[in-house]
Amino acid sequence: MERKTIESQLAGHALTTAADDLPYDGVPMMPDAKVIKIGGQSIMDRGRAALFPLIEEIAAAKERHMIFIGAGGGTRARHIYWIASDLEMPTGVLAALGGYVPMQNARMLQMLLARHGGIYVMHDDFEKLPLYFRLGCIPIMTGMPPFGYWEKPSEEGRIPPNRTDAGVYLAAEALGARRVIFVKDEDGLYADDPKKKPGVELIRRIGARELIARDLPDLIVERVVLEYLTRARYTHEVQVVNGLERGALTRALEGEDVGTIIYQD
Amino acid sequence: MTKFHTGDGRTHIESQLMRESLQDKSVVRRTHSEREYQILPDVVLVGIGGQSIFDRGRDALLPLVEELSQARTKHRMVLGVGGGTRVRHTLAIACDLGLPTGGIAQLVGAMEECNAIFLNALLAKHGSIVMQREHFWELPLYLSTGMLPIVISIPPYHFWEPPPEAGPLPMHGSDFGLFIHAEVLGMERIIFVKDEDGLYDKDPKKHSDARRIEKTTLAQLLERMPDELIVDKQLFECWRTARHVKRVQIVNGLERGMLSRALAGEDVGTVIVKE
Repeated sequence: MERKTIESQLAGHALTTAADDLPYDGVPMMPDAKVIKIGGQSIMDRGRAALFPLIEEIAAAKERHMIFIGAGGGTRARHIYWIASDLEMPTGVLAALGGYVPMQNARMLQMLLARHGGIYVMHDDFEKLPLYFRLGCIPIMTGMPPFGYWEKPSEEGRIPPNRTDAGVYLAAEALGARRVIFVKDEDGLYADDPKKKPGVELIRRIGARELIARDLPDLIVERVVLEYLTRARYTHEVQVVNGLERGALTRALEGEDVGTIIYQD
Repeated sequence: MTKFHTGDGRTHIESQLMRESLQDKSVVRRTHSEREYQILPDVVLVGIGGQSIFDRGRDALLPLVEELSQARTKHRMVLGVGGGTRVRHTLAIACDLGLPTGGIAQLVGAMEECNAIFLNALLAKHGSIVMQREHFWELPLYLSTGMLPIVISIPPYHFWEPPPEAGPLPMHGSDFGLFIHAEVLGMERIIFVKDEDGLYDKDPKKHSDARRIEKTTLAQLLERMPDELIVDKQLFECWRTARHVKRVQIVNGLERGMLSRALAGEDVGTVIVKE
């Protein structure tokens, strides 16, 4: 009753422990892609006042950059999480349901960007990104990662730990992009929620480990993103910019350090 | 009546999470409760090893298929399979090519799906069906009609696989995938069918003095985690924060009757419980 094994460096190994000393020289897929996340509560829920100027900026920048957009969720997602929590649903169900709102937002963005080449992309179309870029399109996708029912329960509470920040960050890492840009409604990362505590310190540049160590009560990015940032092979920077400020996104796309940079330290 | 709130430039739907940052620890805490709804509590998840069982072909598989066909009249089960040696070969080639971790994660599910199809072919006359992920909510239908669903074990993390703690290989393998599948549905028991009598303090294929762990708790195991494990380490990490899975059992599928005894609730092989 022998195992019919294919010879390979990993043959016969338990995959959990085998590969630590495996030689590996990574090849990034599309290091020049510019990955942007458009915030849900921060941008989408503001409607045209916030979105139309951003659409203009993206349309103009598209001539110079390969832009890939992930959409956030926002208040409807919060409502879903609240109802689901009230029903005591497991985290995986929240993650699956939480995917519907960013999907709607991605479709809204697609409609607005259609005349500039906006195209709605599903998780399964990820491998078609090179085609879309080559055609001059702007692929737009839900920011939510495809974990859905397979999302891990979190330590406390039942909000899925991997939401749209994490999804867009991980997409950037898969593409091998050096930086991911989160478009929100604040000038960057603050030491606490500036909407509730005016005058709180704006942090311009900080390492991910340092930020984790500061253990802030609130953050402008999902906590798991910081963890991933410490281990990532390619996406070594997260930039948070204010989408309500004209030109900030354009400057970020040109590589300027506007807003806050959280880097791998 | 649902109310909308405006005034800060955004339109909110009234809810306890309205205007809140979901990163705020105190907000997240408010969504916590001791209880959680169990969707399919009385179902047992049975994971069949790829390298340990499938790669041995008919000699290992046919007796198990027979056991499963008899057990299905007594137990509500969901089956899952591992990918085995072809997964390892995929990983070795992909690493040599320097493919990104997410890309590697995207590849491996295919090899596992082949084993799901093999198993389905063998069990079809006993009512098995391969559950496609998009048909997640058909699982209760399959079960209530007495069918034997086979699920794809690898979790759909794909290109979005988080950066691993060390090395380039994805951390979320098929044992973890099955675990999380059971957990989200509120199942309490998982049985892994492998080619060893259970979990050992070191790899029994390499060390003759390896000792089998008969019964232990998750807390004890996390304290003294063996270096080489027969199931994914991520499974135990995730179990820590899980709410439903109470018992993970590892049995030897090469020994007749072990799976049936485990299904009947006997403490054969290795039993790990969460207290």
